[in-house]
Amino acid sequence: MKKIIAILLLFTFGLSSCEKDDICDANTPTTPRLVITFYDIANPTKTKNVTNLKVIGDGMEQGIVFNENLAVDDTLRYVTSGSTVSLPLKINDSTTTFKLIFDSLNANPAAVNTDVLKFNYTAQNVYVSRACGFKTIFQLANNDPFIQTDPDGDTFWMTQINLENPNIESEDETHIEVYF
Amino acid sequence: MKHTSKFISSLSFLFSMFLGYAQDVPEISKNLDSTVTQKPKTETVKTAKPEIKEAPKEILTDSVVKTDRYGLRVGVDLYKLTRGLYDKDYKGIEFVGDWRLTKKYYLAAELGFEDKTTEDDRLTSSATGTYVKAGFDYNFYQNWLDMENLITIGMRGGFSTFSQELINYKIYNPNPYWGELPPINEGQKYSGLTAAWIEVALGLKAKVFNNVFVGFGVQLKLLAMNKEPGNFENLYIPGFNRTYDGSFGVGFNYTVSYFIPIYKKKTMASENAKIEEAKKKKK
Repeated sequence: MKKIIAILLLFTFGLSSCEKDDICDANTPTTPRLVITFYDIANPTKTKNVTNLKVIGDGMEQGIVFNENLAVDDTLRYVTSGSTVSLPLKINDSTTTFKLIFDSLNANPAAVNTDVLKFNYTAQNVYVSRACGFKTIFQLANNDPFIQTDPDGDTFWMTQINLENPNIESEDETHIEVYF
Repeated sequence: MKHTSKFISSLSFLFSMFLGYAQDVPEISKNLDSTVTQKPKTETVKTAKPEIKEAPKEILTDSVVKTDRYGLRVGVDLYKLTRGLYDKDYKGIEFVGDWRLTKKYYLAAELGFEDKTTEDDRLTSSATGTYVKAGFDYNFYQNWLDMENLITIGMRGGFSTFSQELINYKIYNPNPYWGELPPINEGQKYSGLTAAWIEVALGLKAKVFNNVFVGFGVQLKLLAMNKEPGNFENLYIPGFNRTYDGSFGVGFNYTVSYFIPIYKKKTMASENAKIEEAKKKKK
């Protein structure tokens, strides 16, 4: 009899505790960003760090945040000096345009070089889980996956751009390689 | 709110268990009396005294004759039925039935229909379908005289055929640089879905008057087969209820049922006690 009571107790408490698996774990791979890795044109096997690169989406006021810990009005919040950048694509569109501003914090305007990259792609919504809902994955177009333009008329700072992987499904891999 | 109601129902179930045991107590003491009188006698049998053996037999002959009624019990799950009144996202009904096979074993089955809309943080979906569950119950409650209460443990196999509709969803985007998007209204229907599961059912049925019984039951379920739609998931399976990350599920019902007696069997009350005693000795 005591055994039965113990089983029943376990059963009833088990019933009350089975709840809430509906918080999306931050480690779950969800909508990926486009990953660009920068390489040294003189030594193409080696990655190269950019200098205060600022990336602004077309039609946006603020650049993409690279240092979340800094204050909102700190200019360093929006620049990166690493060898990779991850750019969020528009989910409900088939093109996204970014201004990539090299050496953006330089006081000498001649040193600042802006190139524009426009990405063409198709988006697909994929089910993740009850908690996370859906994510969007992208595939860069076969024709013109990206178009590079130079609005300020000074030469391209990105000398060469290679398409490494047109399927943007995770952020663990490089999709675009840039040599400068 | 969900938690509180679940907690209260768990608690009331827990207390209802002790109600059952409260009635059990006098019977145990009755058993004890008979063991006290019989035990020394059976022990002395080993020392070869056959005359004493006849003494308990005499007790047997004047003990009470107990009549067990056999038949079909049919009922309905009031929890599912009434939930439709206060929960606009739920409609459901479940019919329950059992057939007494032997003194302690019952064939049991449930047949139901559910239509439930579930609003999660990032998606809203609905599931509609019918299900059937069949198996057995074992009554481990020792009734006293003509009582017919049950505390049962049982197994069921369940099968459901249903359809799901993805009403709307949100895209999870950890980098909302371009702004948060409103939920996408899909209206996508996935039909022809099936699922099968096994469950362990614990139940309590008490005769309230005449042939009317009220009962509580909880079920722990394990999904065995689940045909999932492409690019979506079975979030709610009629009969199985909400699915979790693993293949576990839980269920609850509150039934009112009517017992239709079909035939009767007579047993000696003390004979039962004797059988129980023999079992205890084996241990």
